[in-house]
Amino acid sequence: MIKVQDLNLKRADKQLITSLSMQAKQGDVVVVLGPNGAGKSTLLLALSGLHTDFSGKITLQGKALNIYTHLELAANIAWQGELPPTEFGLTVEQRLELAAHGATEKLKQALTYLELEALKHRALGELSSGERQRVEIAAMMVRDCPVWLMDEPTAHLDMKHQVDCLKLIKQQSVEGRLIITVLHDLQQAAAVADMVVLLDGKGGVQVGQAEDLLTTAQLEPIFEVKLQGSGRNLMPVYSNLSDKDDNP
Amino acid sequence: MSIKQSPWAMFFALFAVSVCIAWFLLGLGEHWINPFNPTSDIDSRILWELRSPRLLTAFAVGGMLALAGAWFQVLLGNPLAEPYVLGVAGSAAVGAVSAMAMVPDTAWAVSLGAFIGAWVGIAIVLSFAHLGSVRLLLAGVVLAAFWAAILMLLIALLPERGVVRAYAWMMGDLSNSALPVWSLLLAWGAALCCGLILSLSLDKLLLGEKHAASLGVDVPRLRIFLLLLASAVTAIAVTAAGTIGFVGLVVPHLMRLLFGSLHKSVLIASAFGGGVLLMLADTAARTVISPAELPVGVLTAMIGVPVFLWLLLRRDT
Repeated sequence: MIKVQDLNLKRADKQLITSLSMQAKQGDVVVVLGPNGAGKSTLLLALSGLHTDFSGKITLQGKALNIYTHLELAANIAWQGELPPTEFGLTVEQRLELAAHGATEKLKQALTYLELEALKHRALGELSSGERQRVEIAAMMVRDCPVWLMDEPTAHLDMKHQVDCLKLIKQQSVEGRLIITVLHDLQQAAAVADMVVLLDGKGGVQVGQAEDLLTTAQLEPIFEVKLQGSGRNLMPVYSNLSDKDDNP
Repeated sequence: MSIKQSPWAMFFALFAVSVCIAWFLLGLGEHWINPFNPTSDIDSRILWELRSPRLLTAFAVGGMLALAGAWFQVLLGNPLAEPYVLGVAGSAAVGAVSAMAMVPDTAWAVSLGAFIGAWVGIAIVLSFAHLGSVRLLLAGVVLAAFWAAILMLLIALLPERGVVRAYAWMMGDLSNSALPVWSLLLAWGAALCCGLILSLSLDKLLLGEKHAASLGVDVPRLRIFLLLLASAVTAIAVTAAGTIGFVGLVVPHLMRLLFGSLHKSVLIASAFGGGVLLMLADTAARTVISPAELPVGVLTAMIGVPVFLWLLLRRDT
């Protein structure tokens, strides 16, 4: 469905991604992992057609992204990223209607699933960051796009809504959507990922199955932290926070 | 269905309110003249040849300034933006004052100078259009400072009578518009139509450029078109009436507070609201210390700012 061939991404003079090739199909959940500044968000923007300053080729359903019109891209790819600005007083319902294009039934379902019914007439600026993040996830739900690109969808969310968000990702992939998401939590990544794209922050990139890449051997050198456990129990070691050698 | 949800209902309701207000303001002046029944030929000529063209000019200019303000605010993603933020008023003023220096006592030359000056300013701003909103705004602020410096230099070189005239023009002057009323009303209507055609894209742009693009908006093209449209409308307003502040800043916010953020409502309400505010301000300007006149720009601020602050406080409580 999405095919990336020899993608090279730069930001200013920094090489973010060197020669990424990957392929993902309907129903896959691809998790993008990497340290801050490694290029995860830029990669999602490139995959969505919103960032075009790269070399290599990205195709969606066999057709290069740059051949699609803006409206065709919008019909195929939904992108969730930074929280929208709040200065102009849009309400939750108005924000979702802009994404829904008249799909009122989907809008109702999204409001219910994300528990936003009671907030729908409130201005976005009156909400907490977590509530605004739920609105952005709801804005994905109201669009009928086969591809979802989600940039840290669980950021700002409390535990219950993090779990709801991950359930939504799994459920949507079962229904046939391709979901490519940036996550920072290794346990969350292990819980949903079919495939992992691992950026090392120095331009290097690895693509593989979750069980092959979500290991201490792969991740410790990249994130420069000690990890413990394996599989879905993989997590940083927090017991040595006052360890003198690790102090900055 | 509320009036906010039906653009046509809103248009006709605001049209009716504006006509009623205009009809009442038409009677006000050095002495009251009943617009339904002027008592003499002179009164009739005062009504239809002096007051009504000026009132309609005020309506069209005020409406266009408010529309341009709403567009600049969403284009730059900045609620403090207004029609003069990118220096178009400054370049127009340089053009107008240059004309005053070169061809004194010729009203049309001042308007022509303002028009040419405004378009020189627009051409320069357009060369920065590819920059992001913040850098475009910065470029505009610096350009405005540049035009202000040239203006100071020109004013320093003008004779005393010219200085008074230049200041009067810069504070807004609806008594001397060289553009025919019908052309201003046509420009007002065309500007509103363009705005309404773009309204859904403008709503999406409220979410930021990336979100708008992901919802199918061709953001670079929209930005250029919006910049050109808002600048052209500002140029027409400045050519007709000099630089009148506050309408373009305050009215779109006022209308958002009253009618919500979606552009179908905001633009219709701003086109009428800006018009009505400038009609009220200009009527006050020509009647408060009649037969002398106050600068209309001072009165737009004196009427607009307290109303805006009151609404802001009321919404917060």
